[in-house]
Amino acid sequence: MDRRNFFRVVGTASGGAITGACGRKSEEIIPLLVPEEGITPGVESWHPAVCGECAAGCGILARVMASEREIEVDGERVRQRIATVKKLEGNPNDPTSGGRLCARGHAGLQALYGPDRLRGPMRRAGPRGAGRFEAVSWESAMQEAAEALDSAVAEDAGRVVFLSRPRADLRAANIAKFLSALGAPPACAVGVRDFAAEVQGAERAYGWRGIPAYAIRDATLVLSIGADFLSGWVSPVLYTRQFGHMRRGRPGVRGRLIHAESRFSLTAWNADRWLPVWPGGELALALGLGRALVDLGAGASPTRAVEAARAAFAEVDLDEASAACGMSAGTIREVATELAAASAPVVVAGASIVREHSADAVAAASALNVLLGRVGVAGGVMPPPTVLADLVEARPSSNRWRERLANANLVIIDGANPAYSSPSCREALANAGTVISLSSFVDDTSAYADVVLPDHDPLEREAVALPSASLVESVACSARFVAALHDSRPADSVLADLAASAGKPFEPLDAQGALTRLHATLGAGNGAGSSEGFVESALEQGCWQGRPASGGTTGVIGLGAFEVADSMVPAVFQAYESLQFGTGGGANRPWLQELPDPTSSAMWGLPLEIDPVTASELAIENGDIVRARSDHGSLEAPAYVNPAAIPGVISMAMGQGHSQYGRYASGRGANPMSLLGDMRDRRTGATAMGPVRVHLERLDKGKGLIQFSRQDRDVPPHRV
Amino acid sequence: MPEGSTEAGTGTQRRTPQWGMAIDLDRCTGCEACVVACASENNVPTAGEDQAAKGRTKHWIRIDRYYEGDFPNIRVRHRPVLCQQCDEAPCEPVCPVNATYQNAEGLNVQIYNRCIGTRYCAINCPYTVRFFNWYPPEWAEPLGLQLNPDVSVRPAGVVEKCTFCVQRIKRAKLNATAEGREVGDGEIQPACVQSCPAEAMVFGDLSDPSSRVARLANSRRAQRLLEELGTKPRVFYLERAD
Repeated sequence: MDRRNFFRVVGTASGGAITGACGRKSEEIIPLLVPEEGITPGVESWHPAVCGECAAGCGILARVMASEREIEVDGERVRQRIATVKKLEGNPNDPTSGGRLCARGHAGLQALYGPDRLRGPMRRAGPRGAGRFEAVSWESAMQEAAEALDSAVAEDAGRVVFLSRPRADLRAANIAKFLSALGAPPACAVGVRDFAAEVQGAERAYGWRGIPAYAIRDATLVLSIGADFLSGWVSPVLYTRQFGHMRRGRPGVRGRLIHAESRFSLTAWNADRWLPVWPGGELALALGLGRALVDLGAGASPTRAVEAARAAFAEVDLDEASAACGMSAGTIREVATELAAASAPVVVAGASIVREHSADAVAAASALNVLLGRVGVAGGVMPPPTVLADLVEARPSSNRWRERLANANLVIIDGANPAYSSPSCREALANAGTVISLSSFVDDTSAYADVVLPDHDPLEREAVALPSASLVESVACSARFVAALHDSRPADSVLADLAASAGKPFEPLDAQGALTRLHATLGAGNGAGSSEGFVESALEQGCWQGRPASGGTTGVIGLGAFEVADSMVPAVFQAYESLQFGTGGGANRPWLQELPDPTSSAMWGLPLEIDPVTASELAIENGDIVRARSDHGSLEAPAYVNPAAIPGVISMAMGQGHSQYGRYASGRGANPMSLLGDMRDRRTGATAMGPVRVHLERLDKGKGLIQFSRQDRDVPPHRV
Repeated sequence: MPEGSTEAGTGTQRRTPQWGMAIDLDRCTGCEACVVACASENNVPTAGEDQAAKGRTKHWIRIDRYYEGDFPNIRVRHRPVLCQQCDEAPCEPVCPVNATYQNAEGLNVQIYNRCIGTRYCAINCPYTVRFFNWYPPEWAEPLGLQLNPDVSVRPAGVVEKCTFCVQRIKRAKLNATAEGREVGDGEIQPACVQSCPAEAMVFGDLSDPSSRVARLANSRRAQRLLEELGTKPRVFYLERAD
């Protein structure tokens, strides 16, 4: 179009607007500027993959299209045509994701393309923890790592410590093989999200091994005690799907949700009733509810398990339990009455915020399902599937990792960041014999590594993963479909090479091998056809699913004693897993940094959430910089006066406060775990997230808080 | 309710769809999966800390959340807010260069290469869902590889907004045409709809009474945001039961 015609079109269009008859007229004119073929969809293909952002193990689909990038070859910049992942979606075939995906899952793309992702192996070039590294060749890095491994195994293989993530997947199986070949103890999970309390609780209440699943989609009343299942916890996509169905998926039936937690989480937002339990009072609430249910005659058809539950709850003093959890005895009785009257109730037992008594609390809450007869029935709690037992067995647990780390001659880190989630372990990392990291990024913990051998991104490698919770036997799986973007190597083959060089070879399991084994365990007559066909079909679908979960309780109740919580002490602090960053791993994704925090609407930082009563006493307003001090440490952060916070309860989400984690996360905000010291769940050793006593002090009146919306209340005329 | 018009095809009469959306607030949890899905699909750039502090972030879809009451009797009302694709869109008549208009299928279309950046449309939008590009978008390499080639990257000086993922509408239509059929109900899913774990969002043809979105829009729980302004939005919210 030439300049004269352009102005002719613009003039006519403007006239149309002025006469107010722009609709059809502009349709006739605008195509001259934006031709119909203006949007030409590109050629795309979709490949199954497994999300690596949390332990849920969602099956996803990756949209792959052709792209170009510039690389340097012999000192010259040249263009290279490559296949690139453009978008992630849930895999509709996968029973966990069901074709849906959470915010963190989408942002997995920004881990793949993270500008601070390591381009190749690195060697430490400064003091441990400083994060200064120099690039080295794979040969040199592997030689250094192999020598360290050789010498550590020769000295004492029992002091080799492998810190990993709590997933039941191909990687966990290969780590187990590696450690077994070396004669070293099993790997440890070090995060705050290893579900040790949930696993132990299910074992004590139901006799099951693993994390149970809750069929809330078919429940009419869900009581969640300590499980913020909509924003994080075990499997947020699975449970959000189930929640949607529970609410509006059944004609004429709207399921009801009661949520008990010490903060007004996303699950509390969506609950019909929130029970604001004092931090640490979850156990007392569960026991009190049990006692009230016993008083109402629940558990009328006694089995051994029901009898055991009744006996344990009958000993509880309801008034004492009420005082310990901060809920009145009347409220506890009300909820118990509602549970007893519901046609299909279920109690979701969890520890989104791990406490010193979380394993007891989860066991007690789980025992409510026993009392209500809701174990292994539709709309109740279901046992974990038992396929691929070796992957389940390989799933790392907390397993006294701090003690072992303090005595380590070699530390290998894969997908774990204990220097962030347990800052008190930094000294042990600094003093460990040799530290090898398999991370793709230099994070708080990798900064202590002597050598970094960067792994492929989860989207660049094959995978077989068991979902952390599932109502059906299933695995998510994928073959490799794009080349690695940088000079990384899959950690599985790196471990195999290191073991071989130490004279302790093992054969790493690959996706095909794991699926072949799955086919074999299903046995003849499973309808799966030949082994080759089974593997091919699973990799094409991105998942396999078998029978629905089923089975009742076989367990013997062993509830612990409960202690009165610290309810009289003002200002206790607790950390929690954030929706956008999880336990911190998402902080280097710019999409997630700019995603408004659900509670405070904060972006590019997370605030100390202070209740209005405490804030008023200390004259603290939104954005003021506040110092919080505990017996274990202190931090400074902007304040957010949370209208829904329990008076005297200060909370802060995990995610910010990384000493090292790339340009988007390093040095940004404060790490809430620095206030907690070495708190642990007393039975499992899992890292606890509070409560601790804190002292608050306002430092500056300021604008320390960036909020997407500064408006907490919908006050006319600002309706939107 | 928008009525479908009929347009002449190649020898056959086809109804022009009237796109709309229904969002069930009893299902929606406010998890913000839709927000990131949208940014990923539509190349919506992050503003960065400094610009975010000036209120210059771009979220084509956002979750509005308001607290009601006081502890312990407190609750949150939340809803996803995106361009409401109004039939009487306040943003359209104020554009001096006609860069925004409603197309035959009911989409409020933004033509980036016509926009001269007066921001009148953004000011006049009661839903605050239009965003001005103060600076050229930047992606630190290799983040640029994430960009969706089906969606143009908007330059500095123009206003951008939700398009109901018009590129997905176009792809579905092309696929249907190639296969000699109509686009099926539920076949088109904007990125937010596709992502939503609670299945709270439904997209489709409001002029087809049998479509899921039309049925939901006729629900007794259905309301439209700021309906009293007469904007005739095409996004219907099904209010929470409580």
